Amino acid sequence: MKVLLLSLYHPELVRGGAQQVCYELFEALKAKPDVEPVLLCAVDPSFDQLYKSGARITGFDGRPNEFLFLSRDYDGFWHKTSSRLLIESYVEFLLSVRPDVVHFHHFLLFGVDLVTVTRRTLPEARIVFTLHEYIPICAERGQMVRKLDGAQCDHASPVRCHQCQPEHGPERFFLREQWIKRHFEAVDLFTTPSRFMIDLYTRWGLERARLAHVPNGQQNRAGARLAEPPRAKRNRFGFFGQLVDNKGVRVLFEAVDQLRREGFTDFTVEINGDNIAAATSEHRALIEDYLEREAERPAGERLVVMNGSYEVAQLRQRMMRVDWCVVPSVWKEAFGLVISEAWMFGRPVIASDIGAMAERVRHEWNGLLFNAGDAAALAATLRRACTEPALWQALSQHIEAPASDDAMAEDFLKLYR
Amino acid sequence: MEALFLSPDGGVLILGWVYDVLDAVAWMRITGADWRLDLDGPCLARVRRADLPGGLGGAAEIGYFGLGFGDRTIGCAGAAVVEIGLRSGVVLAAEATPSVISGEQIREIALAYIARAHRAGEAQIRTAGYLGHGMGEQLLALNRSIVGRLVASPYLERFGPEVGELAGSIVVCLYGKPEFLFLQAALFSNRPGIGAYEFIYVLNSPELAEAVLNEARSAAAIYGLAISVVVLAGNAGFAAANNVAARVARCGRLLFVNPDVFPKDPNWALRHSAVLLSRPARETTLFGGTLYYDNGSLMHGGMYLDLDVGATFAREQASRWGLLRVEHYGKGAPPDDAEATRPRPVTAVTGAFISVERDWFEALSGFSIDYMLGHYEDADLCLRSLEGGVAPWLHDLKLWHLEGGGGTRQEPHEGAAHVNRWLFTTRWQNAGAAGLLGRNPAHPLLSANA
Repeated sequence: MKVLLLSLYHPELVRGGAQQVCYELFEALKAKPDVEPVLLCAVDPSFDQLYKSGARITGFDGRPNEFLFLSRDYDGFWHKTSSRLLIESYVEFLLSVRPDVVHFHHFLLFGVDLVTVTRRTLPEARIVFTLHEYIPICAERGQMVRKLDGAQCDHASPVRCHQCQPEHGPERFFLREQWIKRHFEAVDLFTTPSRFMIDLYTRWGLERARLAHVPNGQQNRAGARLAEPPRAKRNRFGFFGQLVDNKGVRVLFEAVDQLRREGFTDFTVEINGDNIAAATSEHRALIEDYLEREAERPAGERLVVMNGSYEVAQLRQRMMRVDWCVVPSVWKEAFGLVISEAWMFGRPVIASDIGAMAERVRHEWNGLLFNAGDAAALAATLRRACTEPALWQALSQHIEAPASDDAMAEDFLKLYR
Repeated sequence: MEALFLSPDGGVLILGWVYDVLDAVAWMRITGADWRLDLDGPCLARVRRADLPGGLGGAAEIGYFGLGFGDRTIGCAGAAVVEIGLRSGVVLAAEATPSVISGEQIREIALAYIARAHRAGEAQIRTAGYLGHGMGEQLLALNRSIVGRLVASPYLERFGPEVGELAGSIVVCLYGKPEFLFLQAALFSNRPGIGAYEFIYVLNSPELAEAVLNEARSAAAIYGLAISVVVLAGNAGFAAANNVAARVARCGRLLFVNPDVFPKDPNWALRHSAVLLSRPARETTLFGGTLYYDNGSLMHGGMYLDLDVGATFAREQASRWGLLRVEHYGKGAPPDDAEATRPRPVTAVTGAFISVERDWFEALSGFSIDYMLGHYEDADLCLRSLEGGVAPWLHDLKLWHLEGGGGTRQEPHEGAAHVNRWLFTTRWQNAGAAGLLGRNPAHPLLSANA
């Protein structure tokens, strides 16, 4: 069976959950007998040094079966490419590869109309589409967070979307939904990494029968679990992820400030991540100012430490330096790979009580939830985590191993057939 | 005199102001190297000019603009002499250096001026007044000349599969928005019965030709539709553009569809074909559909005529005017409004969706190109059909019409709407006598089956 996987970016070019999961699947499928995976990763023109003159699809770094889709003229509102030649090249590529399954992990940088192109070109191929967030529903970067007041958005409508993007009239959003749904008609099966997303997309209009739940899987990078050296205190918190607005690091900083005002300073917070360039300028300034002020404090008073970005290979080292993993996202994470990573290393998670965090973390069982976006609630939870005897042990003993890459590949293979 | 514009094809436009409250302008004469334009006082459009210093123009209509068009080539070189004769016999004269621009630009400036004059407080009826005193005919003549030139050599390119026996040719006049082509292609395609229809897009903006041709080529390949693109040399307006596109249609049934119209009912194409097969010819020769807003409410269930009556006062004399208005049945009504959506003969249907037998459309000489840019040509076509003995019908074919963002439009289009309303009223001034006015018109072809 030949499986073509379409990924937004290659994870070695741009880090992100969707591309990481797609690559994990690609690697896992390679190990399966009678399965030949082919990877096509879209890149944008900011990677101009990887673009080849006259080419629209090209190889990647000498790796077999890994290709780059050199996106251009991309219309970010309608999610389509305006390049006819790019579409023709994609058709040629399909006819050359002749996959039995085409598995989209995104339509960004490809164009949602390429789903229809795929169906027309390969009428017999099975088309699977993994929904990694809510871009089909939400034009506001798929975050489903109301720009008016930062509230969680539970459904899209032409007027509600217009309120988030007043520069576009309601009719444009009405058409956007029709347009995307039209192309989704060509998809045989959608998968979501979380169960709640099935409800969300069903309410949006996809048939329940075309939706399946497949948890994101990852290679286990913890190896054999090391015995935890006993620690008198469990007061080291870690944040892992991108420093963009909706990851909620700002909420974490406000919680730290509150605890400091209360005179409670017997804890540390380590920030691991980067991609702050993708944050809004306001958020970026806030984070950078905060970290700068923190760095200027005398060593004994410093509570927040910035470790910067990390490679997957460094995950073990970073995780072992903390007791808890904090996931303060203010949007409904679709899966929250960081939760899996924390669990891989036996770290209980303190997370916002929305989206995949609320679905995966069981409050008081294997982690703690707090009211999303509420810095006071997070502060109280951090304080409790530091001070309540045996809480860490009680929660960590219920942590189960997250889904493996192999389990994910097996799940998908069942759906491919 | 603030500006004098000439176009080589014979257009003359003069703008300025004159304080003639006590001694009115009787005539104006503009003399060039090989031409002369004479305008009677009433031919000049008069407007308030609040922008003038000293409060002179706030109350009195001292601003003027005049337009002349003689379908001839004029020499634009050199200065012109402008003379204004007052009733007292005084003649004011000045030399002016004309600016030479295209006929389209003259039309655009004139229409924008009409729109601005209206916004400055002039009633539409007042606008109709000066249009009726000669300026309207001058504008029409200018427009005819422009349109004739713009449609003389259309460019045609066809994409997609060879067509077999067709159920209809869908003609769409793009309004400078290429995205509607790919949106319509996506949303009309993959629906039962659509394979029996071809699409003809006509483009009034040649500067977008490359983008539109590119989109058409892609859309034909992605969606498997037969798509033709007709490119005109400039903005010939809705009527002329559709007439040209209709000539390259390959089916005896024409469907004029706005670019912001999309199928609401997935079986729309089948239903359209079924209407043609199942209903008597008199109900299908020319018909419209039920159109809906994106918010779900009804947008169109047929159209009827109404008359606005008013009076204007100029130089202490009252003038009584009536202007026809076109209204939609059921605009904003609940989607299932039985009265507005039931199949029936109606005075007119919107040009956003008209299905018409090609022979009848040609017998009516198509849309009247006298209506500028777009407005009222749909109602005019329907009234001419009625006059010819065929009532327009409404059938319950459900389509979206995303006619939104509607509050603002460009000044030339706003000006054109005023001109077209004046023209429509002038042409159909006997509507009342013919039993065409009101929600329940008495016209025998409309009342018999109503």
